[in-house]
Amino acid sequence: MSRPGFVLEVDERTPALLMHQGEGFRLEKLPMGSRVIYPPESLPGLRDVDEEIRKALAAPVGRPPLSELLYAGMRLTIVFDDLSLPLPQMQTPDIRQRVIEHVLEAAAAKGVDDVELIAGNALHRRMTPAELKRTVGDRVYRSFFPHHLKNHDAEDKENLKEIGHTRHGEVVEINRRAAESDLIVYVNITLTPMSGGPKSVSVGLASYRSLKHHHNVQTLRNSKSFNDPPNSAMHHSYNRMAALLAENVNVFQIETTVNNDMFPKQMDFLNKREWEWNLKDQAAFLAVRRANELVPPAKRRQIWHRTAAPYGITGVNAGAPEDVHPITLKNVLRQQLTEVNGPSDIGIWGLPYICPYNVNSIMNPILVMSLSLGYLFNMYQNQPIVRPGGVAIFYHPVPNEFHSVHHPSYIDFFEEVLAETTDPVAIETKFEEQFATDPWYIHLYRNSYAYHGVHPLYMWYWGAHALEHLGDVIFVGGDRKTTERMGFRSASTLQDALEMARERVGSSPTITYQHTPPIAMADVR
Amino acid sequence: MKQVALEYHRSVGRYLAGRAITGTRLGGRAAGSVAAGLAPLRVVQRPDPTLPASGWTRVRPLLSGICGSDLGLLTGRNSPYLASLVSMPFVPGHEVVGETLDELDGLPRGSRVVLDSVLGCVTRGLTPCASCAAGKHGRCDNITTGHLAPGIQTGYCADTGGGWSRQFVAHRTQLHAVPDELTDEAAVLVEPLACAIHAVRRADVPTDATVLVIGAGTVGLLTVLALRAFTKAGPIMVIAKHARQRERARELGATEVIGSDRALRTLRRKTGGFVVKPEIGEEFLLGGADVSFDCTSGSGLTTATRATKAGGTVVMAGMPNTDVDLTPVWFRELTIVGGYASSGEDFPDAISLAQDAPLGGYVDAVYSLRRWSEAIQHATSAGRLGSMKVVFNPRLD
Amino acid sequence: MKRRWFAGLRDDWRMVRQARDIQGQTRTPRTAQPHELVHRPSPFGTNWARTPGVQAARQVIQTGLLKPVTWNTVKPDVEGLDHLDNLDGPVVIVANHSSHLDAPLIIGSLPWRLRRRLAVGAAADYFFDKKWAAVITALVFNAFPIERRGSDRRRSLAPQLLADNWNLLLFPEGTRSEDGWMTPPRLGPAHLCVQRRVPMVPVVLRGTFAAMPRDRNWRPGQHRVVVRYGKPIHPEPNEGARALHARMMNALARLWAEDELGWYGSLRAQAKGELSLPTGPLEITAAESESESGAGSTDGRPRPVVPSGSWRRVWEASRPMPPKRKD
Repeated sequence: MSRPGFVLEVDERTPALLMHQGEGFRLEKLPMGSRVIYPPESLPGLRDVDEEIRKALAAPVGRPPLSELLYAGMRLTIVFDDLSLPLPQMQTPDIRQRVIEHVLEAAAAKGVDDVELIAGNALHRRMTPAELKRTVGDRVYRSFFPHHLKNHDAEDKENLKEIGHTRHGEVVEINRRAAESDLIVYVNITLTPMSGGPKSVSVGLASYRSLKHHHNVQTLRNSKSFNDPPNSAMHHSYNRMAALLAENVNVFQIETTVNNDMFPKQMDFLNKREWEWNLKDQAAFLAVRRANELVPPAKRRQIWHRTAAPYGITGVNAGAPEDVHPITLKNVLRQQLTEVNGPSDIGIWGLPYICPYNVNSIMNPILVMSLSLGYLFNMYQNQPIVRPGGVAIFYHPVPNEFHSVHHPSYIDFFEEVLAETTDPVAIETKFEEQFATDPWYIHLYRNSYAYHGVHPLYMWYWGAHALEHLGDVIFVGGDRKTTERMGFRSASTLQDALEMARERVGSSPTITYQHTPPIAMADVR
Repeated sequence: MKQVALEYHRSVGRYLAGRAITGTRLGGRAAGSVAAGLAPLRVVQRPDPTLPASGWTRVRPLLSGICGSDLGLLTGRNSPYLASLVSMPFVPGHEVVGETLDELDGLPRGSRVVLDSVLGCVTRGLTPCASCAAGKHGRCDNITTGHLAPGIQTGYCADTGGGWSRQFVAHRTQLHAVPDELTDEAAVLVEPLACAIHAVRRADVPTDATVLVIGAGTVGLLTVLALRAFTKAGPIMVIAKHARQRERARELGATEVIGSDRALRTLRRKTGGFVVKPEIGEEFLLGGADVSFDCTSGSGLTTATRATKAGGTVVMAGMPNTDVDLTPVWFRELTIVGGYASSGEDFPDAISLAQDAPLGGYVDAVYSLRRWSEAIQHATSAGRLGSMKVVFNPRLD
Repeated sequence: MKRRWFAGLRDDWRMVRQARDIQGQTRTPRTAQPHELVHRPSPFGTNWARTPGVQAARQVIQTGLLKPVTWNTVKPDVEGLDHLDNLDGPVVIVANHSSHLDAPLIIGSLPWRLRRRLAVGAAADYFFDKKWAAVITALVFNAFPIERRGSDRRRSLAPQLLADNWNLLLFPEGTRSEDGWMTPPRLGPAHLCVQRRVPMVPVVLRGTFAAMPRDRNWRPGQHRVVVRYGKPIHPEPNEGARALHARMMNALARLWAEDELGWYGSLRAQAKGELSLPTGPLEITAAESESESGAGSTDGRPRPVVPSGSWRRVWEASRPMPPKRKD
């Protein structure tokens, strides 16, 4: 049985705690009395995933069985979550592959010829053929690539279709092929409470025109947090869009959830509670950490990104998006939610080597910002784990490194925009249009493997709520120049960071460390 | 009378060794040490130069600059093309402010002057060639003949001496009186400023054109100054390596100062267009600046050709000493314009511009001739050390 | 570079050692105590219990202590030992299970030939939970742990023991009966016999529940108990585990009924299909009774349905054994 999550209070018995720090990790001794949020232990995975898929497709919620929705001569579009999920990548076979194979099996049985598979990558970079193959599996890839297995292209004007406007005037525009299909089957992995459900089609297949209604500073500042859909302005917008979509297209949503097994067996200690480390775990920690230091940086990154997670699947559910998603969310929260008693003065997070936008790539400073102030800060319900005006301390080296193919507009954003201002509103007002419509960025998004020009700005907006909420942001071990450019501070040790935080929170602050990964979601009462 | 001078003498071995070493990547970085150690330069006691003819005067240099072309000479980077246009041994130094020691028409003895170092027909006692007659003595064809030994400029000619000495000779036409308001430190910048003005005038910069200035050494900065003074250029973007240079460039009117590694990307953001990365070789822009000035000793020329938009102009303001792939010139139909020395009104304009411009503090490293080796090392890494112009004061011991 | 790396190793080492003792263990932080890991002992090794020295000790204990105590506590009637005459092992002995007396009774009644190399399957979570209990159980009974649930079940020692020529005593019900009646036996022993092609000896114990039921450790008194050995069941070529299992259940049912119906009467009843597993005064459905065994509820005589846990079940089961029939 996996144990529930809990909040540890550091006492003299507490050993040094594990902290992720970019492409590496360390142990850190936290001050006495600090709270540490541990997520529930990894839930057991389903024994027979294929059987569960079969069941889900045969008895969906809010929809007839999939086989009854399929018929010869129909247009079927299968859309799947792109490379940004799950993190880290899943050991093959990917759950998307398994689900898609079942769907195709059913479609073949019904004689459906017109099938198209689309990665729901929105403004993310296109997936490379190798990445597509890894995700959908060899059989699917060979049968459909390249003509019927594609990335969504949000700048292919001809292949976008405006569905209409929501009552708030938001334009809903999605991939034309999907919009004109008799059935969209969406195959999803819901890793955090933020994703899946109404977001899947309305965001995954949308264009900049449509996305800008929810990907903006105003909305994100009112999403508290964006991982808590009922309290997220962003999700309210998704819901309106999804409702409009529901009137116009037929979506059959298949949602899957994974447990917290994010690291392979050899690195088991990363999944264990520190006081339960046995000698083997301690030796493994030392060995892996020291070896990690020895490896040249480029090789180290490659190794980390190649390390796939042995996730167990905790749920497969299918049906109407609005009916399936609550079940899925329950599954996600079952794995991630830990109740916490009130916020503290200082929040601490260790940042791992990966975020949704640097799979097989480089975690550049902007992505560090979006991972820390965006994703991790927002892993809460009710209220942030840091009080308003408190201090966030993150562990990451924040090197000034960019992937020139994947993140061209990020480089310009960092060099030019951040040199001028770090205020999300100012950035939105002055630069969004420029970055979103720059023909070169569009060209690279469409033809190379670049994130859309506007994407770095979105990343900055992700942190808008945290920027407004926090009094100071300090990166332990962060590159001084880079953090300074982003308006943050760097400290060489935790002691220095706490010293720097004193001016905001006094000399005996309350401290909470959100122990993640694996993903921990705090329910702060 | 004998006097002290720095003399450049013929030494094929040292020339080739210097050239070979600085041609490598590592040697290029250590160019200063190479120049100081291997350069065929020596301190000599030599007789005072004699006046070649009437209309000449002896000049006592007050300050004498070290120019990029001098460094190229000492490290052996300069093109062998120029080898037959000099006469050895010679005393380098062509950025000079000095005092005249002889009476001349309209230039009394003891006048403070700056030197237009070009040695055209008039100085050589020849009937002016077509270029000289048109006031463009920089284009003179007779620089190897006449009553002077060959030499494109004072500082490359065996007969005239040069600025890196206690005395040299100059023709009346080479000398421009300096107003009292102009300090020696500003006056020593007049010659390079005149060259910059010349280069800017050669380009014919259209109104509101986007201009790219590559390099922010003396030439680069003075080019920015000249662009703002004599053209209606729009945004001027300067590629500068070092922090002090960036500040200076902004002071002089640069719109945007960029690090060398980000030049193309920033330029693209400002001017639009695409960055393209060939499989071999550097990135280039489809789009870019209207006019580019290469103010480096050649290394910026590649960037210039790759960052200039189709139909644009590339001006070579610094003395080039590297090979360049000219394919973009052909493909983008670029106009390449050379800008050598100065002509016409460039010098008087430079003198008046130098009085108004914020050039204070540019000369911040003054060496005696005996300390030439240190001076050369300093000049080679001037940008990194935050210096703009390194000069000799030959009067110092 | 190298020095930095070693300095880093030293620092890491110190960090790892923080708050840990020499064995690398740390006390659970106070706030983590409610969330301590459920202690899962590593499987108790029992190989030592089958070394010659320990075997010799066991013979002494079993003959000198176990059997006398057992035979003093109850009055056992041992029947059917003649069926074992032609067996040298390995065999799998299966018996119904309702008391701690069951194993000692069988051990005490087995001929030396078979007892010499006998191992007893014992519930891992009951007998092997505490170390001292595990040691005693292994020493006295040559017990080996059987996982009753969970994923470790597959790692059972039983096949290996059979391969090493050990006779096994197994209680296919998996646990002592709550009320003296049999619960549906598990397939495990049948699987074993089929797999290893060894004969199975069915044994029925009657009266042990009345003599020493669950939750009652020691109740001296001269209760009569019956230990009745049945004919060995040899797996037929191509016989499946389920078929063998069914034969086992038939045999157990008949051996059980011999007390009430006599030997011949039980044979007759079985031939008429009137016997079924003695699961107490409760209807059993056809599905539970393992299909072709014939021991269905279709004997035409409706029995009262008594719900599980009712006092009446215990009441029936604890009825003292009638004195031995004089045939």
